[in-house]
Amino acid sequence: MKRLRNIFGIVVTTTLLSVGVASAASLSFGTSALGAGSTTVTGCTSTALTATRNVNNSGNVTQLNVTNVPQACAGEVLAAALENSSHTSLGSSSAIVGTCTGGCTVAITGFGTVSAASVTAYALSLTQ
Amino acid sequence: MRRFQITPLHLAVAILVGLPASAGVAYAASLGIGSNKLFAWSQTLTKGTCNQTSTTADDTYVQQGSPASTAGGTATTLSITGGATQNYAFIRFNLSGCSLPTTAGADSSTLTVVVTTSSTHTISLFPVYSSWSSSTLTWNGLGGLTIGSTATTSFTGSAGSHALTVTADVDAAIKAGALWGWELRDTTGGAAATTKIGAVENGTAGNRPSMTLSYEK
Repeated sequence: MKRLRNIFGIVVTTTLLSVGVASAASLSFGTSALGAGSTTVTGCTSTALTATRNVNNSGNVTQLNVTNVPQACAGEVLAAALENSSHTSLGSSSAIVGTCTGGCTVAITGFGTVSAASVTAYALSLTQ
Repeated sequence: MRRFQITPLHLAVAILVGLPASAGVAYAASLGIGSNKLFAWSQTLTKGTCNQTSTTADDTYVQQGSPASTAGGTATTLSITGGATQNYAFIRFNLSGCSLPTTAGADSSTLTVVVTTSSTHTISLFPVYSSWSSSTLTWNGLGGLTIGSTATTSFTGSAGSHALTVTADVDAAIKAGALWGWELRDTTGGAAATTKIGAVENGTAGNRPSMTLSYEK
């Protein structure tokens, strides 16, 4: 009988704790930026944008230009990484999308000294 | 019947069982909050080379002393003269055969010229941003050209081959859709001196201008 009472007590206590945790978890999900992010994606862009880069006479990247960024993305952070063939980042930087009429061109500078010849891909992202 | 009570034993076992579950839930929640990435994508670049020879080149030189002359367009050497009466040389390449879109770019580019008549003067290269043709360009026509005010690079007019880095100019030209090349000018000043480089019409193939281009698109 005592053993049965112990088992029952453990089950009841665990259930009470689980309810508390589950409640906290659903509260986090419901109030986090995750839900808001999904809404913004719909309103901003879901299409890959094209980037070009400028070089100096030493062949190092001086600037990355991301073109036709929708106006709806204004205020969001556009981050870029210059990657080599192993998809290792050789340099990264970011800029805030400004306001403009039609598609914006966002210029990102500050990658450090990165040889354009070593860059085989751009990894880009938009975040709030 | 005895009333049920939560004892310290119940609590201890419940925490041991519940803690891993709580950690898992908390991890999932913080991952969602921390990675508020709205959209991410990648752009892969294609690398290539498109080297240029005299077959895609055009060159001439213009003479202050004969301001209406187009004779430089068919000369076998390009005369670059400093001093009171100057000559400027022009070299360009037609990159249309490279089929590069304006979203492409130069990774590296080198212009090679061969000095056939040497001097101790400095020859500087200035980028040209507007169209010209060796058959029509004259000293009088220079006013109609748009030429950069800052030299891209320079070299001393010693005899032989000179490899000149022109990566930034070619990169900008690809994005502009046309490469109008460079004006080569004696920037030493002072006493007159003439440096000559091989033209595309030069009888010795090794004396003609050429250009290497490594690109991405």
